[in-house]
Amino acid sequence: MRINDLLLGVVMALLGAITIWASRDFPSLPRQPYGAGTFPTLIGALLVVFGGIMALRGWRRRGALFAWQGEVGPKRVLFCIAMVIAAVVAYIELTPILGFPVVSLVLLTLMIDWLTSHRWVLATSVAVIATALVWLAFAKLLHVPLALGVLEKVVY
Amino acid sequence: MAELQQALSMVFAWDILAIVVGASLFGLFMGAIPGLTATMATALLVPVTFFMEPLPAIGAIVSATAMAIVAGDIPGALLRIPGTPASAAYTDEAYLMGRQGKVGQALGINLACSMVGGLIGVAMLAFFSPLIAEFALRFTSDEYFWLALLGLSCAVLVSGSDPLKGVISMLLGLLISMVGMSSVSGQMRFTFDIPGLLGGISILPVLIGLFAVAELLRRIPEVGRISIPRPPTVKKPFEGVGREMWRYKGGGIRSGFLGTLIGALPGAGADIASWVCYAISRKLSRTPEKFGTGHPEGLVSASAANNAALSGAYIPALVFGIPGDTITAIIIGVLMMKGITPGPDVFTNDAVLINAIFIVFLLANLLLLPLGLLAVRSARHILSIPSGVLYPLILLFCIVGAFATNNSMLDVWIMLGLGLLAYLMAENDFPIGPMILAVILGPIIESNFLRSMIKAQGDMLELFDRPIATTLGCLALLVWASIIFSTFWNMRISAHEAGST
Repeated sequence: MRINDLLLGVVMALLGAITIWASRDFPSLPRQPYGAGTFPTLIGALLVVFGGIMALRGWRRRGALFAWQGEVGPKRVLFCIAMVIAAVVAYIELTPILGFPVVSLVLLTLMIDWLTSHRWVLATSVAVIATALVWLAFAKLLHVPLALGVLEKVVY
Repeated sequence: MAELQQALSMVFAWDILAIVVGASLFGLFMGAIPGLTATMATALLVPVTFFMEPLPAIGAIVSATAMAIVAGDIPGALLRIPGTPASAAYTDEAYLMGRQGKVGQALGINLACSMVGGLIGVAMLAFFSPLIAEFALRFTSDEYFWLALLGLSCAVLVSGSDPLKGVISMLLGLLISMVGMSSVSGQMRFTFDIPGLLGGISILPVLIGLFAVAELLRRIPEVGRISIPRPPTVKKPFEGVGREMWRYKGGGIRSGFLGTLIGALPGAGADIASWVCYAISRKLSRTPEKFGTGHPEGLVSASAANNAALSGAYIPALVFGIPGDTITAIIIGVLMMKGITPGPDVFTNDAVLINAIFIVFLLANLLLLPLGLLAVRSARHILSIPSGVLYPLILLFCIVGAFATNNSMLDVWIMLGLGLLAYLMAENDFPIGPMILAVILGPIIESNFLRSMIKAQGDMLELFDRPIATTLGCLALLVWASIIFSTFWNMRISAHEAGST
């Protein structure tokens, strides 16, 4: 999705202004004007300047605020992005409750099934093997505390 | 000599060798699949290297990237789809050679020249970096401030056709690097009262978000819409390779040296090196009209250049701690996580480690030939893996990798957020390189500036007091002048075009 430079520039300039405002109270080092606030203020100021130039450029070129490019239609792209976000959020929210093995298995099966147009045997078998391998590599070999969730009661 | 012996015994331990071979196989797989880049391979590898000692960690990244760049040539020659952007310069040439029945020769030239280029790059790295390091020992915070600023500015300048977007990408990266405790004053900044942000944003979720998640978001909608054709079988991979390489040996060696130099420049990496060397070899060729018709001369030059550039990028990274491209930016992040700050001191204090790193480089480049041959043989199988299976697995790996840094879900959120941001930026032609370099260089620039100001009691002009600092400072200011000039020049041209239509 292409967004007009006018809009992007305004957002960047706003971000710069907020950064300057948020760094106004950072104290400077003793006996000199520079300190923890110098760089954030400078970055904010540059964002305002360059965001402003970009907005000006977008305004002079005119053009639509939003435009679509690429061969794949907007509906499909937005749906796919939503699915990826949903998968990550589901992982974050559900893993502490249901445990990594369950969440990983279900998520992988659903996603592979969807992307291979319902080859569910393939999806399930890949999901089982991948979950087991990731568990072995990260939880057992590298000692990353992947949550067990409800499975804790089953295992122990 | 004792140092070299120690370094050799460090590298030739079974666990290091196993890691180098394993990482090469991983890089082979990632490079051979169109759409998965060497940088993405590195970003996915970092969570695993996080748990390793410095030498195997670097060894894994070096061998995976070298192999990925070489394996990227394979789908280029077979299907006219470059596996990684570094192969794009000569994809047509290799494919057209394949159409003339010389696909084995094209791939053989890719492999052999990549190895030669890589070896030239390693030789230059091993020869020049200790010399430069000795010179750099005299550097103070003034020089480091200007050097880091110069590196970042060059990265913006070469980042693409629109320097304005490069600047904004850099500023966003700098903003990310400001989060957390200030390294000089200890002041908390932009933490939003989230305890996980007190130590700053970890580099790992940033890398995975910018280079893996963003790429997935771009690729997943294409699943099932764009089908990869079945590749042809490769017969006699090394037939006539020696003859062609001997005929164009001058071009190959020249590109090895030039590629290393281009790689050492901040911001320019393997892809730019192969484009430039391809163009130069066309210009200097006795038969420039044959270029673009399946002629091996350009292939020899460009294949050598991109692998040489990989090694070249490590010169500024190891000597000054200033990354030359995205991959070395990741390496510096990895070293810092391990408590090693790259710089000239490492060459004197840790000479064994540095020698061992050079040996790993050599090993990784020598492995290119046998493993590359394996890649050519197995290309049909690798290319037949459906992307619908691959992408969900990569997504899971991203999530677990981001989580593994601090065992915190906050990092997974950061990965997702930055992945979405990088996706939107890439869709609107913002380059991502300046952003990741800014994340790494931001704290270096800031802390050296503040240290210089403490020494100079706030007198900014003292930054220009030493001759090297003055030179670097003038160069950095010159680069900025050209960035601003080309921004306004672009605006004038576009206004002129808008006026004439």
